[in-house]
Formats: sequence, C-alpha cells, structure tokens
Amino acid sequence: MNFSLMAAWILPLLTGTCVWLACNPSRAPGWRAAALGHGCVFGMLLAAAATALCARTETTHAWLRASPVLVALALVCGILAWRSLRAMPAPRADIPARANTWLNGLLALALISLLWRGGIALREILLRPTYPWDAWDAWAVKSKTWVLLGHYVPFVSMQEWLAHPAQELYTSLGWAYPSTLPWIQVWFASAAGGWIEPMVNLPWFALWLGLLAGHYGQWRALGLSRRQALVGVYALGSLPLITVHVALAGYADLWVATLFGFAVLAWLRWMQTRAKQHLLIAFVCALLLPLLKLEGAIWLLLLASVMVYGLLRRRWRRRAAWVLLGVFVIVMVFGRLKIPVPGLGWVELARNAIDIPGFGRLAISWHGIALSGILNSLFVQPNWHLLWWLAPLIVVWRWRTLFADQALRRVGAVLLAAFGALIFLFVFTDAASWAEHYTAVNRLLMHMVPALVTFLLLLLREVNWREVLRDTPARFAARSYPA
Amino acid sequence: MMSRRARRFPARRVACAAIFVAIAVVILGLSAHLRWNTPLWSRDRLSMPAHDFRVVMGAGAEDGDSLRVGAIGNDGNGLQMHALDRLHADDWPILHYRFEGFPRTLELSLVFRRADTPQDVQAISVPWPGDGWHSVDLRGIPEWHGEIVEIGFAEFATGQLVPPSVGFRPFRFDSAELSALSWCGGLATLREAWFSYRPWAFMSISALVPDRGTSGTSSPLLALVAIIVFGVLAIALTMRWSRAHALGYVAVAGASLWLMLDMRWLGDLWARHGLTERVYAGRPWRERERLQPDENVAAAAEQVRNWLGSNAPASRVLIESDSDYVYLRLAYLLLPRNVGLLYHLGGSSPPEGGLVLLYDSTRWAYDAARGELSNGTNAYPVDPVFESADAHLYRVKGTR
Repeated sequence: MNFSLMAAWILPLLTGTCVWLACNPSRAPGWRAAALGHGCVFGMLLAAAATALCARTETTHAWLRASPVLVALALVCGILAWRSLRAMPAPRADIPARANTWLNGLLALALISLLWRGGIALREILLRPTYPWDAWDAWAVKSKTWVLLGHYVPFVSMQEWLAHPAQELYTSLGWAYPSTLPWIQVWFASAAGGWIEPMVNLPWFALWLGLLAGHYGQWRALGLSRRQALVGVYALGSLPLITVHVALAGYADLWVATLFGFAVLAWLRWMQTRAKQHLLIAFVCALLLPLLKLEGAIWLLLLASVMVYGLLRRRWRRRAAWVLLGVFVIVMVFGRLKIPVPGLGWVELARNAIDIPGFGRLAISWHGIALSGILNSLFVQPNWHLLWWLAPLIVVWRWRTLFADQALRRVGAVLLAAFGALIFLFVFTDAASWAEHYTAVNRLLMHMVPALVTFLLLLLREVNWREVLRDTPARFAARSYPA
Repeated sequence: MMSRRARRFPARRVACAAIFVAIAVVILGLSAHLRWNTPLWSRDRLSMPAHDFRVVMGAGAEDGDSLRVGAIGNDGNGLQMHALDRLHADDWPILHYRFEGFPRTLELSLVFRRADTPQDVQAISVPWPGDGWHSVDLRGIPEWHGEIVEIGFAEFATGQLVPPSVGFRPFRFDSAELSALSWCGGLATLREAWFSYRPWAFMSISALVPDRGTSGTSSPLLALVAIIVFGVLAIALTMRWSRAHALGYVAVAGASLWLMLDMRWLGDLWARHGLTERVYAGRPWRERERLQPDENVAAAAEQVRNWLGSNAPASRVLIESDSDYVYLRLAYLLLPRNVGLLYHLGGSSPPEGGLVLLYDSTRWAYDAARGELSNGTNAYPVDPVFESADAHLYRVKGTR
C-alpha cells in the first residue's frame, strides 16, 4: 500500500471519528467502538461529499483536491471533541462478570470465526475484479467513467442522451442512481493511482468493520453487557448474506442496512437520554438513506414518520392519524394523489398503480406466488441462519417487555412498517417477480436486518439466563449471570 | 422443572433419545423423499468403471480402471461417454461418481441420451466432485425418464466465474455407478445436496440457494429446524417438562443450531474462496484484470478500444448483442467511451458519425448491397469500419 492510499484511508477514518465525537461527546460504555465504527462509515461518506464538491474538474487527483476539506473538518471537530471529552469524568471501570471459562471460550471461538470470515472477505476483495452484476452494470459505471476521463460528466436518461448528441453527456441503465457510492470509489481510485477495482471495492470491508464496531458501541451504551453486545456482534457478523455483500463488494444494500441500523441506534439513544445530538444523528442517518439508494427514500419516509410521530404531543398525534386517513380516502375516492418523497420526487399513488420516479409504474394486483419466494427466503434458504425463525419467537416470548418499553414499541413499529411495505411491494405489485426469482427480496430485507438484531437484543437484555438455562446441559454457561 | 418421576426413571431418558432419533430419521427421510418401505441398501447397482467410457471431447488415457483426462477440447469442454443397453431411468434414480484431483475451477455435468430422442443430448449440472464418492438424486430431473442409451460426464470452466484459459488441469475419473433407491443412497444424496461445494454465481449476491441450475443442491435449514422443534416438543411431553424448562432447551437448541449452520456456511465460504485463490492469487492486477470469466467479450472490448484509440474517435458508441449480459458487459469494459445501448434507441435515429458495435447479434444484420444495418423494422445507413471475430463496428452515415 503506497503513501497516498494509506493517507486516503486514514483521513476519512480520522475525520469521521472526530465529527462523531464532536457531535456526540460521550464516555458511555462502548464509546470508543461507537466512535470508530460510526467514524469509519461517516468518514467515507464525508470523503464522497468532499470529492463531489472539490474534485469535479480533476478526478485523477480527487483525494488530494478534497483532502483539505477533510483535514479542516478533522481539526475543528477534533478540537471540539477533545475539549468536550476532557471535561467529562473518566468512565467507571467495568466490573467484569464472574469469569466463566466455557462461555468465554465459546464466545472467543465465535469471534475468531468472525475474524476468519473477515479475512476471507478481504482477500476475496483484494484478488478479484468487480464481480456482481449490478456492481459493474450500475454502481461502478459513473465512478469508472469519471476516473478514466479525469473529470466529472453528467449521466442522463437515454432519451436526453440521444437528444443532445453534441454535448458531453453519458448514459447508463443506472443513470438515476444516487452518486454517493461512485464518489467514494473516485476518492479511493484516485489515491490508488487509477481504476484498480480491488482498491475501489475495499470500502465495503471497512463498512463491515464500521457496521459491527458501531453497533457494538451503541449496544453497550444502550445497556447491554459486554458479553451480550459481543454475542450480538457475532450474530450480526455471521449472517451469510451480509458476508456475501462484503466479499462480493459493489452493491449499495449493505450501506443502506448500516445507515438504517445507525439511525435506529441513535434514535434509541435519544429515547433513552433525550440528548438532542442523538436525535440529530438519527435524522442525519435517515436523510442519508436516499442518497445511497433510491429505496432508501421509503425507509426515510417510514423512519421519519415514526420519529416525528414520537415527537408530537398527543393532540397532534391524533391529527396526524386523521391526515393519514384523509390521504387514504383521497386516493380511494379521487383515484390518485401525488406526494413528494425526498430522494424520489413526486410519487403518484392511485387505486390501481403506484408511479415512482426512477422505478417506474408498479401496477397493483394480487401476486400470491411472491409469498413462496418470501417464505423461502426467510425460512428455508441459508441466507440468514435462524434470524427470521427466532425473531417472531423472541417477540412472542418477550411481549411483556415489548409492551412495557415505549422505545422498543416504536422501533418495533418501524420494523413492522418496513416489513409490511416489503410484503406490499412483493405481493401486491409487479415487483412480485423480484421475490419469486429471489433477485431482490433478500437484499431489501437486508436493509432492516441490523436494526432487527438491535431490537431482538434489547428485548433479551433483561432475560435471566441463569433461570432459563438452569436445568439444561448449558447451565454452566449461565453461572456468571446474576440470579 | 424436571419431574421427580423423570429423574427416578432413566428409562424415560432412553425413550426420549429414541424418540428424538426416530423424529430425525423421519424428517431426514421426508427430506430425501424416501418411504418407510424403501430398502435400507440398494440391491441393484450398475457399476461403470471409468475405463469403459470413451473420450468424445478432449484427451484421456486409461490408468488401470480409471481414466486420466489430460486435456479438454478446443471448445473448452471435456466429454466422456458410455453406451448403455436401454436402461429404464426410473429404476436407477441414484447416481454415484468418483473423481480424483478434479480442479475446483471446473464444473461437472451429467450428460445422457434417451432412446426416444437419440439426437438430443441432455446435460445437467451436478455437484462438484471433490475427493471420494459423490451422489446425486436424479428423480428431480425432469429429463431423466424413459430409456437411457448413453451416459457420460462433461467438464468445462465454471460458468460466470472462471476464465476458460485457466480453467483446466488434468484429473482422474475413477468410476460411476447407478443404483436403485435405498435409504443409504437417498441419505447420501441429501448430504451432498446440503453440504456440497457451490461456487459463487451472479445470483449469490441476492440469495445463496438456489445458486444456479445445479441439480441436487438444497438448504438444510428447514429440516434441521423441524428436527429441533419436533424433537424438543416430543421430549418435553415425554419428560413432562414445565414451560420454563422447555424454554431453556429451546434456547440451547437454537444457539447450537445457529453455530452448526454457521460452521457449514464458513466451510462453504472457504471453499468458494478457494476458487478465487486458484484463479487470481499470485498475479499482478493488470493480469487479473484480463482474467475475466467472459474472456471473449473482454478481448473484443480491448480490440474495439484499441481501434477507437488509433482512429478518428466517435462521440457515441451504440452496442447491440443478443445477450443482455454481453452488451452490458461490453458497455462497462469500453468505458470511458461514451456508450449507449442500441436496444434503447427504439424508433429514433442514431447520431450521425456515431458508431454501432454488434457483438454476436442475430437481431441486427448488415446488408452490404444497401449499405444498411437493419433489424427488419429499422434500418440505418452505415459503413463497416472494423471487424474482429464476433465484434463488428459500423459508422453511422446519416439517416434517411
């Protein structure tokens, strides 16, 4: 790895971490992991923003042109973070739970297996040219063009491209896709000295590390013990399809899943502490979703709706419910309604179709065949281990905890709404074939998986495992838990 | 809580173990589509030592009972066939095969011919043959019916993944065997379906199973969950467990099953990565960049790029091919050329002075007499400017 590539990696990590700590100066348990995890992901997104702003005219040295912005941001945020953290008392030393050799050994083995799969994924990225279909067909087209041309050119629809033959316009199937990920690739390609695909795909490995570290840190802050949080890290990191999206880098879905997960975590922190910075982070993460992938606009809409609903007073909540009902009635009576969705544009709802810019027109009708695709994806295929089997069982088992905890109820509502939206998409629209042929069902489900793992871990947070495992062969594993 | 009676009578525990095993056997049997009266072992077996197979494509030499395959044909395929005396497919639903040193970069297909359509060759992709015997259940293959008159194996570079130029390494074909249905054979095919190596495919990013058209691959998840659920339920009823007690066992069973599935996935991931190492490790990036699974397309793109670089550049290049994959791939490989897809042109005219690249296209054809490129509906006046193998480049003169 040459100097420029090393610097191009360190700078976003440093800037992202400083920005996180400046926005969220905290010494809560897990703060270092949270800062590094979020810092890694936010740093790459900041690098993309700086590149898009400063390096349009010369992409060959994009990272050099954009780095002053990151350096300045790192300096300012670093000073702010240092001043805030210095004033805070040192965290209390964690009192480790009573040592349990068996359980610790098992957990250590599980975490080693994570390192192993991480190593395989990293090696896979470093060895092969970009492999998955949409990675080269849609996501890398803009970045490769900008890097090889040496400057930015706009991508337009085929019709516009044909209509202006004299202009320097480009087209591709993914011309309307957001440009955030292509700009990240431009940053790293310029540092690598050209279009070297393993180098432009390496951010997906950093994303995986950021996803796991960020979630670990926030889980700790939300009251999970170190051991519970590490079990969560293993559960999330061991999910096969997440590993696939790292090893076969190039798709936007893992980015959406990570930011959706981060938004939910920050929102939970806000509901726990009522500190405004957490709400700000949650909204920023949610707002970034449509900038990563068009589907992110739907998640933004759902997240923002439930978050804003939670902020309203009771009287306004009732009014909001009436507005929603009114929208539904208007669609049913007048046949159509146009609503603005950030990141998508004007979405037209009608009784028999939904017209979404960028996606096209989805006719509404029953597609029962999609149900088998969804059920196969959740409960038969090896994409998610036992996650979708355990999720309903845990909700049923811990329903008292769920109903007693307002924060968990709200997260549950978001997840239920997101799941419902996907079921509606696959079962009631032309998108049924995406589920029937498994082309999109798992990738769209992935968007909510980190948030789902958070939800399940928090439901299990107060479980007395000593009591649960008392009469089982695994009772040794529970000895260190308080009675 | 475990009841006192249960503690007092260890016989109940033995009964529990027996019930659990019985449940596991029933669910495994159902998963393998076996019946209770299916024989335990197969009485009928048709052994086909490899030296009885003749090499149709590629080159091979007898090595005792085995066949040492040293080369593949010019088209990138190896093929070994064995004539059969009108075998009834329904009587022989289980295929066993054994290879040694079979390279991870190759894919294996079962090839056969039926008496009703002797001119048609049926080819079914089967699980990759690592060391030892491998088995596949042929009952799920619709083409496996009637009378089989010839059977064999074909080998070729793994589709969507391995560049044909680095795919082949010599291997030994030991033996093949057809057998009647039995519990042993059925469970062997089930093990193969659940644990056999599956290479990366374009589909892998969306779902891990089904990967491609490989016959005899499935996921063990549903069957293992059923064994655990019904097993714990039966034991809880037998041992008269309380709900809390059963919950503890469900938790332990769930965690164990997760770990088991994860170990299986790690093994699978390691095997998939083995192929990547085999193809790309130890080569500089410039060489790896050229090692694409679609070497022909990549070579054509390079030639067109070179031609465009040394000739008067065009503002736009429109690409057309019969295969979606090929024209999208060409569009990516030709970047940063300003490319679009001819397919999207519809009734509009291509820009004058622009280029049209046809690659392996039957929809569009060049009419030399008229000096036109036509698909039957639309026609554009063009001049041919470059040609190489399947790639044809034309410059648009000006639409009429």
